[in-house]
Amino acid sequence: MTWLRHGGIAAFIVRRLLLGVLVLILVSILVFAATQALGDPARAILGRNATPASLDALRTQLHLDQSLLGQYLTWAGGLLHGDLGSSLAAQEPVSKLLGARLLNSSVLVLIAAVVSIPLSIALGSWAALRREKAFDTVTSNLMLVLAALPEFVVAVLLVILFATTVLHVLPAISPISVEQRPWDVPKELILPAATLVIAVAPYVARIMRASMVEVLESDYVEMARLKGLPERTVLIRHALPNAIGPVFQVIAINLAYLAGGVVVVEYVFNYSGIGSALQDAVLNHDLPVVQALAMLIAGVYVLLNLLADVATILVTPRLRTRL
Amino acid sequence: MNAFGTPGDDARVGQPDLENGGVFGRISRRQFVVGAAGVAAAGGLSACGGSTDSTSTTGGGSSGTPKPGGDFRLGVTGGGAKDIFDGQNIITKPDQARLVSAFETLLTFDDDYKLTNDGLAEEVTADSPTQYTIKLRKGIEFQNGKSLTADDVVYSLQRIGTEANGLTGFAATASMDVGSIKKLDRYTVQVPLKTADSTIPQTLASYTFGIVPVGYKAYPSPQIGTGPYKLKSFTPGQESVSERNPNYWRSGQPYFDTVTITDFADSTAQVNALLGGQIDAMTDLPASQVTSVKGNGMNALISKTGGWVPLCMAIDMPPFNDNRVRQAMRLIVDREQMIAQIASGYGFVANDLYSPFDEGYDSSLPQRAQDIEQAKSLLSSAGQAGLTVDLHTTNGAAGMVSLATVFAAQAKDAGVTINVKNDPNYYGDSYLKLAFSVDFWGTRGYLNQVQQGSLASSPYNETHWPPTSGDGSNFASLYQQALAATEDAKRIELEHEMQKLEYDNGGYIIPFFGDLIDGYSPKVAGLSPSKGTLNLASFGHGYRTIWFA
Repeated sequence: MTWLRHGGIAAFIVRRLLLGVLVLILVSILVFAATQALGDPARAILGRNATPASLDALRTQLHLDQSLLGQYLTWAGGLLHGDLGSSLAAQEPVSKLLGARLLNSSVLVLIAAVVSIPLSIALGSWAALRREKAFDTVTSNLMLVLAALPEFVVAVLLVILFATTVLHVLPAISPISVEQRPWDVPKELILPAATLVIAVAPYVARIMRASMVEVLESDYVEMARLKGLPERTVLIRHALPNAIGPVFQVIAINLAYLAGGVVVVEYVFNYSGIGSALQDAVLNHDLPVVQALAMLIAGVYVLLNLLADVATILVTPRLRTRL
Repeated sequence: MNAFGTPGDDARVGQPDLENGGVFGRISRRQFVVGAAGVAAAGGLSACGGSTDSTSTTGGGSSGTPKPGGDFRLGVTGGGAKDIFDGQNIITKPDQARLVSAFETLLTFDDDYKLTNDGLAEEVTADSPTQYTIKLRKGIEFQNGKSLTADDVVYSLQRIGTEANGLTGFAATASMDVGSIKKLDRYTVQVPLKTADSTIPQTLASYTFGIVPVGYKAYPSPQIGTGPYKLKSFTPGQESVSERNPNYWRSGQPYFDTVTITDFADSTAQVNALLGGQIDAMTDLPASQVTSVKGNGMNALISKTGGWVPLCMAIDMPPFNDNRVRQAMRLIVDREQMIAQIASGYGFVANDLYSPFDEGYDSSLPQRAQDIEQAKSLLSSAGQAGLTVDLHTTNGAAGMVSLATVFAAQAKDAGVTINVKNDPNYYGDSYLKLAFSVDFWGTRGYLNQVQQGSLASSPYNETHWPPTSGDGSNFASLYQQALAATEDAKRIELEHEMQKLEYDNGGYIIPFFGDLIDGYSPKVAGLSPSKGTLNLASFGHGYRTIWFA
C-alpha cells in the first residue's frame, strides 16, 4: 500500500487504473439501470408489429423472464470472461456485431487525431508567435467560427461542396461494406475525417495559442532569447514543452469526445461505425449492445485521461518530482 | 416503423404500415377467381372515391427496351440491427425491400391494385364460401433447382398460420382451417375455411404470404425462394447483396446482375447518396426535398396510396362516448390545410373512411368539411363546451406528430384545448387503451382493414368500434354477411351499410390519404406509380420490371 502512495510514476499509473476500473463498474450499473427504465426490449424491437403472440415468442427467445439482478450478473460475469453477450435485436454475439464497426470508427478517429493534433499545435504556436499580426487575426477568427459550427452543419457543407452540388469529386456517403476495411476505400474517409478534424482542431489550436502566448512572455523564454539562442531553439526546446502541458488535457478530452461523438458524423455519412450502432441499439432498447458501447466509450475516456495526465506529468518537472 | 428513421420534420405521410401488406382489389373477387362459376365481368363499378386516378410520375419516362446488366443500388431508411430476412415476415422497411427480391406470392396486385393471377398460382378458385382451391403454375423452380409443388404451398400457409411462429401474416389466416390445408395432387392445394371469407385471394396476394420451400427457416438459414434474385450476403442494419437468378421462370427477367440494398439511418444521407451517384434509388424522399432533388437532375416517383394517419377516438371512453363530441371533432378538421401543412400538398382529402380504392368504397357519402359553428353547438349540447383533452402520439410514422399539433391548432377555433402528448413509449402498454390517439395504417381492402382494426377481435382496434349497443352494434354481423356474400352487388351493399355506420358513429378522424414519394436516378427505367403499399412501385416489382436505360 505504501508503494501505491509513494511509488513514483508507476504507482501513479496503477492507482489511476484501479480508479478507472471502479468508474467502469459504476458506469455499468448506471447504464443498466437507465436502460431498464426505457422499457421492454421486445416491444421496442417489434414496435407497432407487436402482437401478444410475437411478443411472447420474442421475450422467451431473449430470456427476458430472468430477474433484473440475474440479467445484470449474467452479463457482468460474461464480461469478465470477455463475453459481451448477445444483441437482443440482431440475435448475434455483440462482439461479432461490433467488431468491424469498432475498427471502422477507430480508423476514423485515428486519422482525425493524427491530422488534427499536429495541425492544431502548429497553427496555435505559429499564431502565438505572430501575435496580433495578420496570420493570427485570420486564424483566430476562423477557428472561432469553425468551433461555433456544429459538426452536422460542417458535414453537410462539405458534402454540398465536394460531393453533390458544387463539385462531384468525393463520395457523399461512406458505407463501409462488410467485406471492406476502411483503408480499402480511402476516398470515402476524406469527408468524414475532415469533418472530425474541423470539429476538434479549433479548440486545440486556440488553447495551444493561449498557452504559448503565456509561455512566450515568461521570464525563462526572455532569458533564453537574451542568451542569444536562435528563435527556433527557444521555441522548440524551451517554450513548446512548457506550453503543451495544458494542451494534452484538451486533446484528451477532444479525442474522448470523438470516441462517443462520431455519432453525428457517422449519421450524416452513413458510416458503419459504433456511433450508428449505438443510436440503433438505444432505439431498440438493445441492452447488451448499449452496455458494451457505454463501457467501451467510458473505457476510452478513462484511458485517454490517464494518458493525458501521465504526459502532462512527464513534461512538467514540478509535477514529476512531487510524485 | 423505426421511430428514429422518420423524424417529425419529415413532412410526408403515407408510410406503409408494416404488418400484413395492403390488400384490396378493384376488380370483383368473383370475377377474378378464374373458374369460379360464371359471373360476367361487369366492369362498370366505380372503384373508388376521391382522386384515385391522379397518380403521376415526374421526370424520367419508363420507355425503351429493357436491357440486362448492372448493379442496382437501393438506399432504405427505417432499418437497423433488428433487420431480418424471412420470406413471410418483416419488421423493418429494408426487410420489405429484401423480401420481394427473393420471394413471390401465389397471386399479385398490379399497379392499380387489381388482383391478377400472374403469380405462382395459375388460378385460385372458391369452390364454396368456405373452401378455396389453389392450382399452381407448372415448371417453376426454386433458386436451388427444386420444383415448386403443392407441398411447398401447404408448408408455407401452415407456417404463417402457426401462431407460435409470430409471423406478420398470422392475423390474416384467422378464417383458414390451417391444420386441414391439404395437397390434392402435385400442383393442387385445397384450403378449407372455418368461416366464410371472400378476402382469401387478397390475402394470398399480400407480400408477406411469400411461398417458401418445405422445411424453410428464416435467415441465417439459406434463403431460397422462387424470386428473381438470390441472396448472396446479408448484414442486418447494413447491407444485403443479391444475385440474378439465372433460372428465373419469367423469361427475360430480371435485368440487373446484382441488387444491393443499403440501410440508411437518415434521409439526409440518403438524398446525398442519390445526388452523389452512390445509390440509384431511395425510399421515402421527404416532400420538402422533392423540388431540390429534381433540380439536381434526379426523379421523384409520386404514388397515390391509401395510406392513412388517423386521429382515433375511443367510442367507449369519455368524452368520446358521446357521439356528438365525436362528430364535433370531425367537423373541426380543415382537411386541405392538413394536407398542405403535414404532407406539403402530397395527398388527397379523405372522408373519415378508409380503403378508398376498394370497389366497395362508398363515395356517395357527403364530403365532411370544416364547420366550426356546428362543432361548437354540438359540443355545447353535449355539455362539453370549452373541452380540454389529451391527444397521444409518437414518432412512429411520418406525420403522426405534426397531425396532432396541426389538429390542436385547428381545435382552438372551436374553443377546444388539445394537449399533445408525444410519448416515445407510445406503442407500449398504453397503446389501444387511450381515449384520444394518433396511429398509422397502410392501404388495404375494406374488409381486410375491418378485420385488422374495426372489430372487437381485431389486433389493433384503437377506437373500440363497434359499439355493443345502439347504432353500429350490428357491424360485426354485417361484416360476417359481407364475407359470406357470394354476389359482389350484395357484398358492396353490405360494405356501404357498414361504412355509413362508421361515417355517422365511428371513432376515426381520417383527414387525408398521403402520397408515397421515392427518389430515383434518371438512369433507372421501368418505374411508374403504383397504388400499393410498398415503396418504389413494390420495389420495381421485385427489381424485375426495372432496368438501367
